[in-house]
Amino acid sequence: MGDVKEEKTLSIPEYFMLGAKKGFYITVELIAPAMVMAYVIITFLQLSGLMPLIGQALGPVMGLFGLPGEASVVLLAAFFAKAAGAATAASMYAAGVLTAEEATILFPACITMGTLVGHFARIVLVCKVRPLYYPVLLATPIIDAVIVMYLTRFVLALYL
Amino acid sequence: MSQNIEHQNVKELHEQKVTWKGWLSLLFLVVCFSGVFAHSDSFLRAFDLTALLGQFGHAEGAKVSLQGTGGSGAREAFVLALTMAPTTMIAQGLIEVCQHLGALTAAGKLFQPFFRVLLGVPGVVGLAFVSSFTSSDVGAFMTKNMADEKLITDDHRTIFAAYQYAGSATINNTIGSGAALLPITLLPVGIIIGLIIVVKFIGANIVRFYLVWHHRRHPEAE
Repeated sequence: MGDVKEEKTLSIPEYFMLGAKKGFYITVELIAPAMVMAYVIITFLQLSGLMPLIGQALGPVMGLFGLPGEASVVLLAAFFAKAAGAATAASMYAAGVLTAEEATILFPACITMGTLVGHFARIVLVCKVRPLYYPVLLATPIIDAVIVMYLTRFVLALYL
Repeated sequence: MSQNIEHQNVKELHEQKVTWKGWLSLLFLVVCFSGVFAHSDSFLRAFDLTALLGQFGHAEGAKVSLQGTGGSGAREAFVLALTMAPTTMIAQGLIEVCQHLGALTAAGKLFQPFFRVLLGVPGVVGLAFVSSFTSSDVGAFMTKNMADEKLITDDHRTIFAAYQYAGSATINNTIGSGAALLPITLLPVGIIIGLIIVVKFIGANIVRFYLVWHHRRHPEAE
């Protein structure tokens, strides 16, 4: 990740502290903003009465994965940023909209298809993949997310 | 990281030795994150991430910790985010140490003989594969360089890009971006990471077979 030469001079405890510092900054720079945004959106959807409407409208689609229609908001948030998806799922769990089981199913899906456009630029474009294959590559994380939701459901059934 | 260093990395790939420290730290990471000893009564519980994470204390007489009960909206979100700092700090700290000791290189070595079968790409992608556990960008740069150097074909590049793209920087994103779900998930974080890696391979293979189909359909384009 960082500068290789610099890292060679560190001791093991220093590596731990370097990582811990990174972790703290992740909390401050990534998680806290994503959590505040997600909670505000979910609170808005609940106060405005839109949440049950979303649940009804998308219930049949999300039902295929054993999830309520409201879970679509999580995947929509994840599309923009992985952290936003995860934070949205967490806030819906706190609000009683999702169960822990449903949040667990959404967890790997958020990471798999999260930050879809941003990471397309950072990975697919940087790799210099031929433009001809762009649509297929763009679809891959979404297909993966669908598979991982089924897979997680299956593993969850075995684990619990 | 400059492209020159990336360049060197590709060439040094086969010279990279995995020491016993690498294997041991990989084992430690897998054990720690998989939660196998989460419910152990013996000293083995010391090797569990959740056990090491510990608990927040309670104010005298209070039933819940730091976070309190009945919070909502942005205020609740902020307090909740703060309670996640120890999780991301300990996890990133352990990963940083184990990465330094060679855990991820060991994981790459473990997979190396199987790249041909699992992804249909040569073992030379090993180092980029290892980087892609914790970084979105390094692996992508290396992939481009390997294709430029003709170490891998254009199809290999496409398949391997598909592998990296879905669930990118898997370990860091699962514990970092996914931190909000860590206290909620019913599966240990190691299993979540494992599931994501499994579907990354599945997705890359979908692209792999798409390419075979595509080349058969458009043989003149080659």
